[in-house]
Amino acid sequence: MVAVHQFLPTFAPRDAIGTHARHARAILRDMGVESEIYADGAPDGGWRRGARPYRTFGWRRSPRDRTWLLYQLSTGSAVAEYLQARPEPKIVNYHNVTTAALFTPWEPHVGVELQEGRRQLAELAPACELGVAVSAYNEAELRAVGVVRTAVAPVLVDLDAGAPDAEVVDRLGAAKARGGSDWLFVGRLAPHKCQHDVVRAFAAYRRLYDPAARLRLVGGVGSHAYATTLERFVHGLGLAGAVELAGSVSQGALRAHYRAADVFVCLSEHEGFCVPVIEAMGAGVPVVAFGAAAVPETVRDAGVVLRAKDPATVAAAVARVLGDGAARASLAAAGRRRAGDFSLARSSARFRAVMQGLLDGA
Amino acid sequence: MSVSEQVPAADSGEPVDHAALLVEIDQEVARRRASGELPADFERDLDLVFARFAPVHAIGDDFGHVLERAESSTFIDVLAPTDSSLPMVPQVKRVVRKAITWDLRHMAQQVTAFASASVRALRLLAERVDALEEASARPASAAASAGGSPDRAPDRDHWAPLVAAAVVGAPGRVLHAEADDGWLLAHLGSAGVDAYGVDPVARTPPAGIELREDAALHHLGALPDGELGAVVLSGCVDRMGLGHQRRLAATARTKVAPGGIVVVIGRDPRSAGRADPVAQDLGGGRPLHAETWAHLLGGGEGTHVLAGPRPPGLRPVPGTPPDLAANLHRLDELLFPPASYAVVARYPA
Repeated sequence: MVAVHQFLPTFAPRDAIGTHARHARAILRDMGVESEIYADGAPDGGWRRGARPYRTFGWRRSPRDRTWLLYQLSTGSAVAEYLQARPEPKIVNYHNVTTAALFTPWEPHVGVELQEGRRQLAELAPACELGVAVSAYNEAELRAVGVVRTAVAPVLVDLDAGAPDAEVVDRLGAAKARGGSDWLFVGRLAPHKCQHDVVRAFAAYRRLYDPAARLRLVGGVGSHAYATTLERFVHGLGLAGAVELAGSVSQGALRAHYRAADVFVCLSEHEGFCVPVIEAMGAGVPVVAFGAAAVPETVRDAGVVLRAKDPATVAAAVARVLGDGAARASLAAAGRRRAGDFSLARSSARFRAVMQGLLDGA
Repeated sequence: MSVSEQVPAADSGEPVDHAALLVEIDQEVARRRASGELPADFERDLDLVFARFAPVHAIGDDFGHVLERAESSTFIDVLAPTDSSLPMVPQVKRVVRKAITWDLRHMAQQVTAFASASVRALRLLAERVDALEEASARPASAAASAGGSPDRAPDRDHWAPLVAAAVVGAPGRVLHAEADDGWLLAHLGSAGVDAYGVDPVARTPPAGIELREDAALHHLGALPDGELGAVVLSGCVDRMGLGHQRRLAATARTKVAPGGIVVVIGRDPRSAGRADPVAQDLGGGRPLHAETWAHLLGGGEGTHVLAGPRPPGLRPVPGTPPDLAANLHRLDELLFPPASYAVVARYPA
C-alpha cells in the first residue's frame, strides 16, 4: 500500500492551510493513496474532521508500506522535529514562514516560533525528496535552503464554496444604500498583514475623496497585541463608525462581504500566496495591493500593484479604480480570469500531477 | 453556483495599461499634495496616533516616545476583567477577584513603586544626556554668525540640477532632509519629481512646496521601511556627531524601496581650513570624507562620488616650465580641494 500522510502544526479545518490539507487528502485518496492528517493541535473541530494526534502516527504503521510524510510548513513546530527523526522520506508543502522581524515586536513568542520554522525548513531540506511550493516566490525560498527537487502547486481552495449569507447580504446592502464606497480586506489581524496601513489609507481616502466610505476588516485575531492596538487606532482616529472589525466569519458571511465590497485593499508586508486576493478577484472585486512578497505573482496584471503604500498613494489608487468605470470593469474581468487560474479543479489537477510524478519516480 | 456567476457581467473594455495607471496615480498624489488638500503633517499625524497605542517595542527607537510609554505603563491595575460569554463565569471571577485583591494590591504597589523609580532614574539620565548634547552641539547663533553659514548645504546652485537628475525615476517619493528654504525641492518639482522636505527650523515654504518641520533622523525613524523612492541628505550631515551620522546613513538605507537612491551632499573636510574658525571650534560634529559616506551607505558598485566645483587656486602663468606647472597643480589639489561633494548610492531593485 502506498501512503502519503500529512502533518501540520495545527489543523484548523476552516483556515487556508487546513482547507488545503483537506483537499490534498481527498485528492490523494482519489489517487488510491492512503492519506491521513496528523497534527499537534486541531482547534475549531479539527479532530472531528478526521485529524489525529501526530505522536500516534507510528503506532500502527507497517514497515512494508511505501510511505511519504508530507509536512505543511508555515511556522515552527515540534511536529518538524518529530518528522526529522522519522525514517520515512519527506515532502514539504511550503506555505512560507512569516518574517520573524515583523512579528517579534508585537508577539515575541510568535517571533521565536517563526525563527524556528525557518531553521526547521533548513534542517529538513536535505532529507526532503520533494518541495511543493504554493507560489514561485516560495519555491525560490525552498531552493535557497537547499531543496533540490521542487514544484509549484497553488493553494487548494474552493472559490465557489457556499452561498452568501442572506442576513449579512441584507445588512451590508442597507449600509451601501446610504452611499459611500466599501473597502474590504480579509486576513488575520496580524502585524505582517498591516491592517493599520489599510486604516491609514482609508483615513486619507475619506478625507480626500469619499467621506462616506466604509472599511471592513474581516479575519480572526492573529496577534492580540496588534488587534488591540488596531482597535484603539481606529477609535483614536474617530473612525469607529466607518471601520468594522468583523472578526472571523462563516464562509457564507465571507461571500457576502466580497459581494458588498467595491474594492479589496491588501497592504501586507508578507504573503506567501494570499488566498483572499484570489477570492476577491473571483468575486469580481477590483484589487489594489502593495507589491510585497508573493502578492505581485498572485495578482499579476489583474489588479493594481503599488510600489509604495503611503496613505495618499493607496487612496489615489482606490479613487482611480472606483472613479473610472472602464478601468474598474476591466480589472474585474481580468480578476475573474486570474481567479480561474486558481480554481479548485485546476489547482487539484496540478497537485495531483506533482504527487503522481513523485510516486511514479519512486 | 460559482462566484463568477453571481457577479453581474460587465463590459471588460480595454485592458488596463498598468504603467500609465501608476503614473497617473503618482501625478494625482503630487497634485493633491501641492494643492494643500493633503496637509503636510496629515500622514505624520496618522503615524503618531498609531504609535500612541502600539506596544513600546513596535513604535521604533525614539527615546522620548519610549520613555513616555514606559511612564504610562508604570501603574499596575489589579482589577482583572471579569467578562465571559459563559454563564455564571463573570460572577465566579468577581468572587475570586474580590478574594485575592488585597494580596495583589500589596504586590502591585511595590511593583508600581519600583517601576516609577526606574522611570524617574531614566528621566534624570536623559536630562544629563540632553545637557551633554547641548554642551557639545554648536549653538544656532554661532552657526548663523559663522561665515558661509555652515548649516546650509554647500554649492547649492551647483548641486541642485545634478541631484534632480540623479533621483528622477526613483521608485517612490523623494525626501530632502534638511531642506532649508526648499532650494532643492523647487528644482525637483521642476523636474517632475514628487518630493517633500523636512527641516528642524519652521519655515514658510514657497507655494507648491511641501516642507515639514522635523529633524532628519527623527522623521526618517518614524517612516515605515521602504516608504521612499529616494532620500537626499544635506546640512545636518556636516554637523552631526559620528554616532548620529552612522545612524542616519543606516536609517536612510532602510527607508528607501528596492531600487531606491540615497544622496549625501557634504562638505569636504579637506577644505575645512578655509571655513570659519568659530564655526569649526563650536561645531558639535565634523564633516566626513565622501569615501566614508560611500562606505556607510553601502551601495557597493551602485555608489559613486561627484566632486564639487573647485575654488580659484594656484594657476601657472604663461611660460611656466612644465615641471613647475605640474608641481603647482599638485599643490593646488592639496591646498584647494573642492568645498563639497555628493555621494550617490543606488540600491538594487
